[in-house]
Amino acid sequence: MRSGWWMCVLLLAAACAPAPGRTKVTPPGTARAAAVPHALVVDFRDGTPAEEVAERARRWGLSLHLNSVEGARSGIAIADGVDDVDAALARIRGDAAVEEAEPLVQLEALAFTPNDPEFPKQWNLRMIHMPEAWERSRGKGVVVAVIDTGIAYEDHGDFVQVPDLAGARFVPGYDFVHDTEHPNDDNGHGTHVAGTIAQRTNNGVGVAGVAFEARLMPLKVLDRSGIGNSADIADAIRWAADHGAKVLNLSLGGPGYSGVMERAVAYARGKGAVVICAAGNAGTGQVSYPAAYAGAVAVGAVGPDGQLAPYSSWGEALDLVAPGGNTRLGPGNGILQATIDRTDFRKPVLAEYQGTSMATPHVAGVAALLFAAGARTPDEVEKALFAGAVSEGAWTPRAGHGRLDALGALHALETTGPGVDWAPLAWSAALLALLLLSLTVKTRPGYLNVLLNPATLLPLLLSTVGLWFLKLLWQRFVGHPPPAAEVLSLPLPDWERILFGRGRLASPLMYSAVVPAVAALFALKWRALRPVVAGLALGFAGFLLYAAWAKAPGIAYLPFTFLARPWLVLNGVLAALVSRAMLRREAQR
Amino acid sequence: MKVRGTVEFRDVEMGVWVLAGDDGRTYQLAGGRSSLLKEGQRVEIDGEVDEGAMGISMVGPVLRVRGYKTL
Repeated sequence: MRSGWWMCVLLLAAACAPAPGRTKVTPPGTARAAAVPHALVVDFRDGTPAEEVAERARRWGLSLHLNSVEGARSGIAIADGVDDVDAALARIRGDAAVEEAEPLVQLEALAFTPNDPEFPKQWNLRMIHMPEAWERSRGKGVVVAVIDTGIAYEDHGDFVQVPDLAGARFVPGYDFVHDTEHPNDDNGHGTHVAGTIAQRTNNGVGVAGVAFEARLMPLKVLDRSGIGNSADIADAIRWAADHGAKVLNLSLGGPGYSGVMERAVAYARGKGAVVICAAGNAGTGQVSYPAAYAGAVAVGAVGPDGQLAPYSSWGEALDLVAPGGNTRLGPGNGILQATIDRTDFRKPVLAEYQGTSMATPHVAGVAALLFAAGARTPDEVEKALFAGAVSEGAWTPRAGHGRLDALGALHALETTGPGVDWAPLAWSAALLALLLLSLTVKTRPGYLNVLLNPATLLPLLLSTVGLWFLKLLWQRFVGHPPPAAEVLSLPLPDWERILFGRGRLASPLMYSAVVPAVAALFALKWRALRPVVAGLALGFAGFLLYAAWAKAPGIAYLPFTFLARPWLVLNGVLAALVSRAMLRREAQR
Repeated sequence: MKVRGTVEFRDVEMGVWVLAGDDGRTYQLAGGRSSLLKEGQRVEIDGEVDEGAMGISMVGPVLRVRGYKTL
């Protein structure tokens, strides 16, 4: 059994690796290093007196000076005006008083600062780390549908193009209000929203936008007063998905549920598009529709202080918060964008508005960056958005998964890989070793005998990582996988989230020991089931305990968010006990 | 239907006129004469809630105003 101990230690170590997207590390590649010509840095042994440093400088023929006040203690000195850095370093490195000597390196933060004159006023773009994110992706080619009051994108009849949109990329759209192919804006809202997504940037004019190499699809569904109906909106959602849009921005909503629109959202998602919606401006704990539909990403608004804006709605359906402005904090605290005057649509203006409508296009823009950076499915985009968000840990009804962060999201996309989280399986494997050690030698089966028994391994895989290969194979050889393949590709506790609507919160029944416990009841009668139930319960235990450790996710119907972790731990332990009972050797005979 | 309440201007999105109803609900006002839209005005509005309406304001149900009287 000594090998069991080793296995246990190794697997525990593997399992305790940081949970994906939870611990914040500085993403690599955010700084560019370049050698400074004719300069070098010398690190003297700590406590080297200043006189000795001066004496060495004379001997080496360098003008050497301590780098800072701290230099007297740390012994770090730099020399500039060195003719031959390599030769000087060769002389210095042999000296007993020197710990290290090397060329001086200039570190430059990797960030793109556009030349748009009003960019310094766009606190919202700095808040989500756009300058750093633009070094990695600008949303090139991704089609973003703006389902709104239209966009001031062309000179047509009475309509004019907003000058700062000249040169921005557009694909054909549609006006569902007037049934024409010219979805121009007669309100100003849609143009403002579109600007935040893909404003012409670094053109020396006006302001910047998040995904300025993306392509905008204008879809007008709201009239001049900013009001529309669910039929037009549902039509536009399907139209966008059918015409190649990968991101749908809906900075609109209402309190009324519409099955037609919910099905349209599901349709778009099935076509591979993400649907980003405003959470609403009622300031209550009820997210408006369509944001509240399963399949939509609901976006709340924060001000420049990072606090939830007083007007922003929140609640169980909330996914993320993003900068939407808070003008109560004074001028300059709204979201600035180029649009048309609200009283005269022929007049271009720069306007500062606040609202969850203003927050939503930030998320839509970052979704476009993610698609351009290699994300393939709405699942991958949402996962990266949520994992990369700035948060204090678990999901909460007032912040969702946290505050949007473009750099964090791109980093999360790079580090999460093809979407399989192996950690629950590692936790289960470690747990198995612990459970076996808790049995007496007489009743203890061999570790590998248990693990490699197909009757145990299959349900273990199913309940921890799902049949992940099914979806990948389907995508490669057949095409878009059917819902059944999608479901089987998920860990068993997540199945109901697909079967009964993709809620944000996990069901307390599936995220519990109920399934293995019920299975164990059957195994009482049919002994042949016991290895199967052992694997199933072991998988649930590892899955639930890992979920608790990784602070994910929120559990539905629990009265307080903080009860989620105790619930997961309790049920994880119960599932482990079920597994232990099934593993005992005489139990399986 | 008839709703009593106070007319208010809310600075969200493009700006929106609402009726802070005495029933505790907030209605987005649509239609009606411009004389209705005075900050703090107490009114009784005769109109219908448009259940299917959606829009940019997202402050509450849209109330299509037929007429009103000041209180």
